[in-house]
Amino acid sequence: MFDAASFVEKAVDDVKKQVKGKAVIAVSGGVDSTVAAKIGSMALGENLVAVYVDTGLMRKGESEFVNRLYGGMPLRFILVDAKEEFLDALRGVVDPEEKRKIIGEKFIRLFERVAREENASYLIQGTIAPDWIESGGELRDTIKSHHNVGGLPTDMALTVVEPLRHIYKDEVREVARYLKLAVAERQPFPGPGLAVRILEEIDEEKVDIVRRACAVVEEEIDAAWKSGMIEKPWQYFAVLLPVRSVGVRGDVRAYGYTIAIRSVDSVDAMTAVYSKLPHELLEKMATRITNEIREVNRVVYDISDKPPATIEWE
Amino acid sequence: MKVYVIDNGGQWTHREWRTLRYLDVDAEIVANTTPLEKLNDADALVLSGGAPRIGLEERLGNTDEYLQHAPCPILGICAGHQYMARFFGGECEEAKVPEYGKVEIEVVERDVLFVNVPEKMIVWESHNDEVIRMPPDFVLLASSENCTVQAMRHKRRPLFGVQFHPEVEHTRFGKEIFMNFLQEAR
Repeated sequence: MFDAASFVEKAVDDVKKQVKGKAVIAVSGGVDSTVAAKIGSMALGENLVAVYVDTGLMRKGESEFVNRLYGGMPLRFILVDAKEEFLDALRGVVDPEEKRKIIGEKFIRLFERVAREENASYLIQGTIAPDWIESGGELRDTIKSHHNVGGLPTDMALTVVEPLRHIYKDEVREVARYLKLAVAERQPFPGPGLAVRILEEIDEEKVDIVRRACAVVEEEIDAAWKSGMIEKPWQYFAVLLPVRSVGVRGDVRAYGYTIAIRSVDSVDAMTAVYSKLPHELLEKMATRITNEIREVNRVVYDISDKPPATIEWE
Repeated sequence: MKVYVIDNGGQWTHREWRTLRYLDVDAEIVANTTPLEKLNDADALVLSGGAPRIGLEERLGNTDEYLQHAPCPILGICAGHQYMARFFGGECEEAKVPEYGKVEIEVVERDVLFVNVPEKMIVWESHNDEVIRMPPDFVLLASSENCTVQAMRHKRRPLFGVQFHPEVEHTRFGKEIFMNFLQEAR
């Protein structure tokens, strides 16, 4: 079986051996990067610089959350505001793989910049097994390029260190609980952020719509979980579809967007089943989304498993 | 116990490694081009799945050598299963009805691979190709509605093939099937 204590001991040791001098770590506020940061700080202390990039594609309230989270850790924390840079780079891009590659490259260029200023030549990442498996290469087909693997430019100047490379999310959570990190039970959030929850081209308006819809889904499912109505699903969010349909609001014709709600149960993200949520809960989310977000007048629920679907839509 | 997972590029190769590790096996993933003499401490081999049509390739790395000369039990999964069938004279082609995700299989022959599991069980699938004719020296162990050869074994040697994926979390009795296979290696 998996033993978190011996995993941590070995991982800290490995980071000490691999990193000479200073390292930067890419953090997102999620479980993987927070565990990697903790292991990194146990190995390197003040020689570790944590960098959080606000891409403008984050969940509601995420930057404030991350600020609080890293405020308490013994490392250097830097927040980079790159909202405009990311949105500009993604303008007009429709292909999901191209989106992921652009985001991956942008991240690395920002980390390289910080690393130069900090005089660090290593980049620690919270890459876990499904990230590199699904990113493909050699024999393996590319399912989707995870921003921290498949999106890496070939000419990058930093040496990558990945202490979690051979473990899965459920094991990362065990490590997080062992290390008493507050993020242990947080649901996964994709590296490219809300960009992959907006099908086709993205812009500020669509980011705002999907962020608000995701917040409704999170609030309602968290509340249902806390009240004992449901078990906590693995991952739950909203996707903005590039489909408009006719509706009626207050006796007036409406022509609005469609939101798909996705909620799945999984252990390791390598296989997943859709959550059998009660209809009352689905209805409540649909009502809130169509009432609170003027641009949306239709909500659908995604009932596909992985495979053949994947968890996120892009 | 030492088990090598021969990597044919499947999405779940690493899951096979993990399942074996959880069963306290010293598991190691190696390329399918690894010469057999480098695997001479193996107590068993697992041939992983792979991208579409991999199981239909003329040659799959050094798999011929493993199937012919490895003295230990071998479990072929998905593409590994299909290649095993073809190597021993069976036939594979693109499935008329491919299966992805949840499927029910039924055990037709209660061989060592299927002890301590129910007759009907939910397994997870992800295949575009399938075995349409088993090799002459093999017996059928399990079937599903749309794919007859879900599991097979060699009549004399400890060589097993499964079309489904016992290594993923959602295959209900996957761990038991691996444990049954490992019994053959003891």
